[in-house]
Amino acid sequence: MAKARKSLIKIKPKRYKDGEIVKVSFMVMHPMATGMGRDKKTKKIIPAKYINSVKFVYNGKEITHMTVWESLSVNPVFTTYMKINGKGKLTVTYTDNTGEVNEKTKKIKPRG
Amino acid sequence: MQRRDFFKKLGTVTAVAAVMPAMSFAASAPKPTGPNKMDFKTALNAITGGKKPIKSNKVHLKAPEIAENGAVVPVTVTVDSPMTDSNYVKAIHILDGKNSNARCIDVFLTPANGKAMFSTRIKLGGTQDVTAVVELSDGTFLIASQSVKVTIGGCG
Repeated sequence: MAKARKSLIKIKPKRYKDGEIVKVSFMVMHPMATGMGRDKKTKKIIPAKYINSVKFVYNGKEITHMTVWESLSVNPVFTTYMKINGKGKLTVTYTDNTGEVNEKTKKIKPRG
Repeated sequence: MQRRDFFKKLGTVTAVAAVMPAMSFAASAPKPTGPNKMDFKTALNAITGGKKPIKSNKVHLKAPEIAENGAVVPVTVTVDSPMTDSNYVKAIHILDGKNSNARCIDVFLTPANGKAMFSTRIKLGGTQDVTAVVELSDGTFLIASQSVKVTIGGCG
């Protein structure tokens, strides 16, 4: 069962026009356990749990995809740029090494 | 006294019954996969496929010179590129020198990005070099690196 994780898509600047290039950052609350660390109390190895791949899809077209390894920090942030091209949706899909798949969408509304 | 003993026993039995299914569940859960191990040279070879990357000042790698906390090291890679259909940045790879897995992230960009830039936060186990390998659409590889001093390691 995929557990809903807290995630956020931020677009800067907040008001943007059609054709403008904006900064998109995606943040997600994730443990990103490497499989090497130990629990301080139980002394047991914490099993590896990290994000495998992330995909940015805008109006059905793939903009960026990433292959992620375990050495990203806890609660990672992914920031890139994106060209606004009409109204629509931005969907970010991310997959876990344990098979957990989640996604987050944000409406894109260019003004002016 | 007999009644008390009975309740004591009952208590232990229920406690064992409550713990048992939890233990059996833990045993049946999938075993943790071991951490990937890859040193810097093999990682670089896997990315470039044997080609030699060129040191370039078009790639701007921004990372702190001294990171107080190795668990969160912000890294930003910007590439000077027009990002048109014929000339764009295909991929940005961020590598580290000494972590057990040298590969941090591989980002595959398209012209729809508009600007070739990527930033994240990575974990560093100790003082080491952070490297950015950039693949252009014509197949050439550019490289830039910077050393980061880590006072407290952030792995594990």
